[in-house]
Formats: sequence, structure tokens, C-alpha cells
Amino acid sequence: MALVAVGVVAGCYLAHRALAIARRPLLVSPFQSGWRPEEHALSRYHVRWYLVTVLFLAFDVEMLFMYPWAVVVAELGATAVVEMFVFLAGVLVAVVWAWREGALRWV
Amino acid sequence: MGVSGALARLATRHAHLLVIEVPGHWLTRVAVERQAGVRGWRLAVSPADADILAVCGSPGPELALVVANLWEQLPGPRARIDVAAPELVAAALDQAEATLRDTPRQRRDSAGRDGPGRDEAPGGDAALAHGSEDRDGLEMDVLHVRLGPVLPDWPAGLVLRTHLHGDLIVEAQAGVVDVGQGGLAGGAPVVGGDTSGEARRPDAGELAAQRCDNVARLLALAGWSDAAGLARAIRDHLLIGERSAATTELARLRRRVRRSWLLRWSLRRVGLLPSDELARLGLAPNLTGDVWDRLNGMLDRATIAAGGPAGVAARGPAGVAAGGPTGVAAGVPVTPPAAVASVVSGWDVATARLIVASLDIAALGVVTDG
Amino acid sequence: MAEVPAAVSGGWAPVAAGLLGTLAVAAALLDGALAGRAAGVRSGMGRSAGEVARLLRQRRRTTVAADRLLWRIGGAGLLVMALMIVTVVPLGRWTLFDLDVGVVWVNALDVLAWAFVWLTGWGANSAYALVGGYRFLAHGLAYELPLMFALVAPAVAASSLRVGEVAAAQQGLWFVVWMPVAFVVYCLGVVAIAVWGPFSPALGRDVAGGVTAELSGVDRLLFLAGRYALLAAGAAFAVPMFLGGGAGPLLPAWAWVLVKATVLLAGLVWLRRRVPALRPDVFMEVGWLVLLPAVLLQDLLVAVVVIGG
Repeated sequence: MALVAVGVVAGCYLAHRALAIARRPLLVSPFQSGWRPEEHALSRYHVRWYLVTVLFLAFDVEMLFMYPWAVVVAELGATAVVEMFVFLAGVLVAVVWAWREGALRWV
Repeated sequence: MGVSGALARLATRHAHLLVIEVPGHWLTRVAVERQAGVRGWRLAVSPADADILAVCGSPGPELALVVANLWEQLPGPRARIDVAAPELVAAALDQAEATLRDTPRQRRDSAGRDGPGRDEAPGGDAALAHGSEDRDGLEMDVLHVRLGPVLPDWPAGLVLRTHLHGDLIVEAQAGVVDVGQGGLAGGAPVVGGDTSGEARRPDAGELAAQRCDNVARLLALAGWSDAAGLARAIRDHLLIGERSAATTELARLRRRVRRSWLLRWSLRRVGLLPSDELARLGLAPNLTGDVWDRLNGMLDRATIAAGGPAGVAARGPAGVAAGGPTGVAAGVPVTPPAAVASVVSGWDVATARLIVASLDIAALGVVTDG
Repeated sequence: MAEVPAAVSGGWAPVAAGLLGTLAVAAALLDGALAGRAAGVRSGMGRSAGEVARLLRQRRRTTVAADRLLWRIGGAGLLVMALMIVTVVPLGRWTLFDLDVGVVWVNALDVLAWAFVWLTGWGANSAYALVGGYRFLAHGLAYELPLMFALVAPAVAASSLRVGEVAAAQQGLWFVVWMPVAFVVYCLGVVAIAVWGPFSPALGRDVAGGVTAELSGVDRLLFLAGRYALLAAGAAFAVPMFLGGGAGPLLPAWAWVLVKATVLLAGLVWLRRRVPALRPDVFMEVGWLVLLPAVLLQDLLVAVVVIGG
């Protein structure tokens, strides 16, 4: 399928080469409401929700445990469920705390 | 000919237009939008997305420079039309269609654009962004980005030079493109209605249509294209004099907007302006509240100007009831650009765009104190 | 009908790609028709064909000091991603890639959308595109976790991460019936990955098209096609996960898969016309404080039912 995908993309580019009014891409300055940009846009961008990314990482790592757990939970029974959801409840408490601290709002 | 001719015909039937409105020519812009829609064409949001550059009115030197920059940014096939008045729109669009369809001509045009190398490319002299501390004390880069004059759903002629921390506007300076040009003496307001060179009072239908146009812009910016399309259709009904159809549809739009809890939830608490703040900034007193309140205020004013049911005024904000049909006929409020710059500072670009659209701008004043 | 699908040779990949392409084209046609109806023009259906012709004829652009390699990777990536997702979606008795961790495979692929959409915004060296790219990441932080936990629910119920076994586990009762929250959250996730409807601020009009602000020609075509393909792939994957796979009367299993995928896809396309956009800043709290706890409760419910039954 990876080959097919590459083929589809390559096919589109080839079709464009054959049909477009010019093959070479046109070099232009980036759009900025009609003005010339004062600076290059690529820069150290203020990501004002960076606190959420930390929260996300914590939860995302937790998520990895969930997949193997999903396969065996039926065999292991109640203890597996209790353990997992006590853990999840703990992480959720952290989310609520982060929310109260205002980490989920940035505007 | 075969394949490329068929491709050209099919492509041209679905052309995208980038419309540029010279302040004072909104009726021409509306006519372009309407007739493009009838042909199944669509409005472009950026030059990369456009085939046709449609300039409504004759631009002053500053706007002419902007238009020239944009013309270079169109990928091609491309066509430029200059439309001076609403009745000239159909012919201009026909002309653009013919230009776009002419493949040999477009190939020649495109081949002629392979000029400068990387270093001499337009904008190749841009600087690198420099750092500054953000509100958490982290050093990050500041970008200086100008919003306007050419941006989808943006008031004609307005230019905001913003200092961006990420997408947060920490500071903004406002201006109006080509102020003092085109026969408007310094100090006189730049009238937003269709002046075509002479200042005249818009009638009630036009006033209602302009409110609907502004409602359509706000709804489009809120990401609700269907409701925005309905508002544009009402605007067009009002302009061709179909008042009864317009008032029915307007009532439907008001119901739809009021019933959308998602829209309400998204626009609530955004851009809150108390009355003393409005007075200080020189904004109309009926703009109190948040973006949601102002959207409903706009719809109320549109309904009143269109001669809708009288019961509406009682439910609308106080300023609207006082402003009735006689009040609106007295003239359009003039929005000082500095006030616009002031109300967007501290918001991110998305909410700032909603706030600007919610100000129901009919005309922009001239900047007097830089 | 309870049989687990068998893997077929990789030579069938073009067929699977063709089916996905057909679904994506159908979505584009429907979207065009709905948009045309809203705008009051008749040419709605022809819109997608016209758009393809227009973009194939249009010249490509590159911007000054663009990060060209990453930009193009991002632009073409969405389409590739959608094709890779459908490899694990069983079509009745057949599947292209019978992976024992198929659910994790799809999860890993859907996260790639973060990279591709953001790279498309980053590569152009354009302020508007950059703002759009970061908006997508902000959305991602809010939708991704609920989406992951939504995918866990069917896996728990089936005690398997193999997509075919998940589908086979829904004999008699589709998962959508007793895990509606997970299904709705999953659908939201699909809409978000496709940067569609309520999750389109990354492509917002307010920033001149955001991520797509500088794209033209075939580059834009691939990005837009990728969005439709992702929507279609997401709808197709919902069929074995929530909608009973190929189960259904009269028609053969493969036909039922296509019918269910088409209906869900039509619903997702239609959704865009009904609702305004969800700005990332307002959606963040919803994602973390409403969707996440709701879908965790759903998982708990499913786990309790599984150990009880």
C-alpha cells in the first residue's frame, strides 16, 4: 500500500507536469495582506498553551499502558479494572488541578 | 488543443476571485460577489487560491502598490479586472473568463515571470524575527504582521500593524489605506458606503444591506459558512429591492443564529466593551456587550432598517430602539481606526478578527494623531 | 459470519486505494452539492471536478526561504496516511494487512496528522500559515486523548487489538449501541484529523486559509484530497470498530461495509454545514473536562461489562 500511495502522489505530480501552464514553481513572497513581510515567519513561536503539552505528555504515556491492558483485562478480571481506573482517576485529579490553575485557558 | 482546451473550459467555469474593495465602493464589491456566485465562481481567501484579481474602484497609490504585490503572488492562470461601478461587473467578469481560458496567452504570461533568482526575489530582503519576553518571561520572537487591507471579510481600507507573540496581538497600530487621496480632504471621514466619488446618504435598504453584509462577515469568520451565505443572500435581496423576501429571510436568519448554542457559546465573553469604554474610544454606544450581543444588535438594526416587525425594537439593545428608522437615516456612524487597534490588543488573531467584524463598521475615520 | 477476515495478497492494494478514492470523491461531490444548494447555484456537483481541473492547470508556487522539503511532505502526507489506515480495515471476509495490533496502527497513523498539518503550515514561511499550523496542534491537544481512549473501548470489549476480531466480536449487538460516547468521540476525532467543519480553524478565513494560504496547483490538490481521504478512511475504520463490520441482512458483508462507511461519511460531510467552528481556545476545556472524563467512564463501563460477562 505504501507503494500505491507513493504512486498516487507521483501520478498527481506527473499529471500536473503535463497539464499545468508552467512546470516550474513560481517564486513569490509570502502573502501578508498585500504587503511585503517585515520578517521571516519561521521563528520561535509563542506557544501559549505549552502547559497543556506537558499535561498531554503525562496522559499520553499513560495511554500506552492501556493497549496491552485492553487485551488482557477480561482474563485478569476485577483487580485489573480497579487498578487501571484508580490510576486514571489519579491522573484526572491532576487534570482538574491544572484546570483550576488556569492551564487550560490562555486567551 | 483537445485535453488542455477541455481542462481550461472546466477550470474556468469554477474560477476563484480575490476581490479588493477600494473604500467607498462596497456596492461594486457586492455586485462582483453576487455575479461571481451566479456563475458558480467562488471567492478566494488568498492570492495562492485565486485566478482572478478583481479591483473594485480605482485604488490610490498605496493600495495600487498592494494590488501590484498581490498580482505577482497569483500563481496563474491569472486575470486582473478593474471594476469602476456595479453596472460594469458583468462585462468585466466576461473579460476575465476569456483571459483565463486563453491557454497560450497564460503560458506566455507565466513564462515571462521566471525572472529573478532566489536572492533578488520579492521579499528576499526580509529580516529575521527578533526576540522579546512574553508575559511568562520567556524569550520568544515577535512578528510584525499587517492585517489588511486585503484579507477575507475585513473592513475595506483598514490596516492594522500588529506585534504578534505567537498568534497573540500584544500591540497594534491602525491606519486607513490612501487616506487623503481620491478627493477626500484630510479630516473628512472616509465614507464606507458606495460614494462613486460623491458623498450621498445611503437609503434604509442600503443600510440594512450593509448590516447584513457585516453579519455575513462575522458569521463567516465564526466558521459558519451556511449562515453567512444566507446573510449574503438577504443583503442581495435588499439591494435589488425585494424587501418582503428579505424580511422573511432575515427573521429566519435571526432564529437560526439565536438557536445556535454553539455559536453563542463561542462568541460569549469575547471582546467585552462596557459603555464608558465605548465612549472613551469614540465608538457607537449601541456596541455594548460581547461579540454575541453585537451580532444580535446588528441583526436587530438590519431588521429595523429593512422595515421588519415593530416588536423587534423592544427586544433589541437600548441603543437600537432609540435609533429607529429616523435615527439611522441621519447617517452612518464613523469608526475611528485607533479604536479598532485598541479593542484588539491582548486578543489572539482569531478572536481579534471576530471583534473587528462585530464592530459593524460602516465607515472609517481618518487617523489624526498617528 | 463470525469468521475473522483473512489477509489477501498485497496485489489488492490498488483496489483498496481505489475504493478509498471512490469514497473520497463521493464525499467531495456531496460537499460540493450541499455547498451549491446553500449558495443557490446548480453547478454544485460539478464543483469538485472543476476544482481538480483548476488545480491541475494552475502553476505551483514556492515562497521565499520556504522549508520546501518539509512543506511538500506535509502536503502529500495526509493522503498517504489515509491510504495506510485503510490497509487494516477489513472488507467483509478480506483484509489487506491482518495486523495483530491493528488498532494501535491506526492510532499511530492518526497522530501523524499533527506532523503533516503543522509542517504544511510551517514550510511556507508565511505568518498566516504558521498561525494556522499551531492552531491545529492546539486542537490536537484537546481531541487526541479522548480519541485514543475511544479506540480502547471496542478493543476492551473484544479483548483484541486485531481489527477483524473487534468486528467479529459484535455479533448480535453493535458496539455503537452500548458505547455511544466512544463512538461520538471517535467521530469528532475523525473530523478533527481531516481538519473538517468545526475543526477547521487551522484553515480559517480569518488567516487567509491558514495552513493552505500559500498552496497552489497540485500541492493544494493533494492537501485537499488528503482531507477528504482521511474523512473517508475514518468513516471506513468506524465500521469494524463500532458498526458491526460486515454484519447485515441480504447483502454480502463487503457491501455492508461500504454502505455503512458511506452513510457515516455523508453524515460527517453534512455536519460541516450545520455548525460553526470550534476555536482551539474554547475547545480545550471541553476536550479535557468533558470529553476525556466521559470517554473514560465509557471505558470503565465497558471493562465492567466485560469482566462481568
